[in-house]
Amino acid sequence: MSSGYASAVSSIPPAKDRVWEVFRQEAEGDPMVHGGSVKAPDEELATHYAREFYGRRQESERLWIVPRDAITELDDPDLLKPPFDRSFKRPGGFLLKHKLEAARERAGSPQVDEVGE
Amino acid sequence: MSDLDRETRDALVELLLSMADDEFVLGFWDSEWTGIAPILEEDVAMSSVSQDEIGHAKALYELLAELTGEDADQIAFGRPAEGYRHAALMNHARTDWAFSIARRFLYENADAVRLESLAGSTYQPLADLAVKMRREETYHLLHFDLWLRRLAEGGGDSHARLAASIERLWPDAQAVFAPLEGEARLVAAGILPESLESLRARWLERVAAPLEAAHLPIPSDGARPAADGRTRRTDEFAWLHGEFTMVSGSEADATW
Repeated sequence: MSSGYASAVSSIPPAKDRVWEVFRQEAEGDPMVHGGSVKAPDEELATHYAREFYGRRQESERLWIVPRDAITELDDPDLLKPPFDRSFKRPGGFLLKHKLEAARERAGSPQVDEVGE
Repeated sequence: MSDLDRETRDALVELLLSMADDEFVLGFWDSEWTGIAPILEEDVAMSSVSQDEIGHAKALYELLAELTGEDADQIAFGRPAEGYRHAALMNHARTDWAFSIARRFLYENADAVRLESLAGSTYQPLADLAVKMRREETYHLLHFDLWLRRLAEGGGDSHARLAASIERLWPDAQAVFAPLEGEARLVAAGILPESLESLRARWLERVAAPLEAAHLPIPSDGARPAADGRTRRTDEFAWLHGEFTMVSGSEADATW
């Protein structure tokens, strides 16, 4: 009862409650977008239900049906939203605004409407 | 289309009516699962498949209406219960899930054999429609083959109910291929590329393997369709008829 193994086993949902995440493509060439999820005991029924929920109105070109337990989730804020300024990692590069302001001040030519912001 | 002689045309009317009524009545029976199917997902699936059948019935009634100059809605809803020509397989109420699955399995496979043949019909509008319907029926076949397997593998009560349903429905399932009046003319004209009896043989061959794999005994494969296979009506159907004609019957000629 108290062993970690037992609790890990009991945390696997019964087959009938397995959840499958469904991704859909609206038109050829579009990215696959998460549509929602269905419950189904196996891949075969999951495929049928995904078709019913996300394709029966001819709204999808293609579906990806993925068992939720095959998805590795990462939501650790220490890894995804570290507390330091990481703006230099953005594709736009450094924010130059403050450096520019400092340089202008040193040069003695402050631009009134920008300083003090 | 009007180059058909009268007898051939009448026989074609019988064929179209039998197919349309099969789809129409089965669609109504199984739409009764809406809200009470085993799981939410299946609820949506069963309702959607039932809607498909009503859609197929609509297309067939329209084909029929073109041929006779009648109104498709009038053919669908305007007949007394005795006027319907669905196979006796569709005379039974929804009953339990195993019963509905057994009926779907038997019917979908029969319909597949029938459509496969009609895709080669010399009556082009029917051939075109058969090709279109087959594409949608592919999914129906997959879905109900799957459910038959699942219930059979479920063992105990699940297998027992399924086996009992197959046994009960077997004679009435033959009626999907009950001979039609004027059938020989349809075969001669190539409108029906082969006789219903030869289609029935193909169907028997087709359902044998999945039934055997599911350990479901085939009741008596020599059973021929009863002569009244498409004319016998039951109280259960009379009740359903009252349900599906209730709205159209409440105000004749109303515009919706």
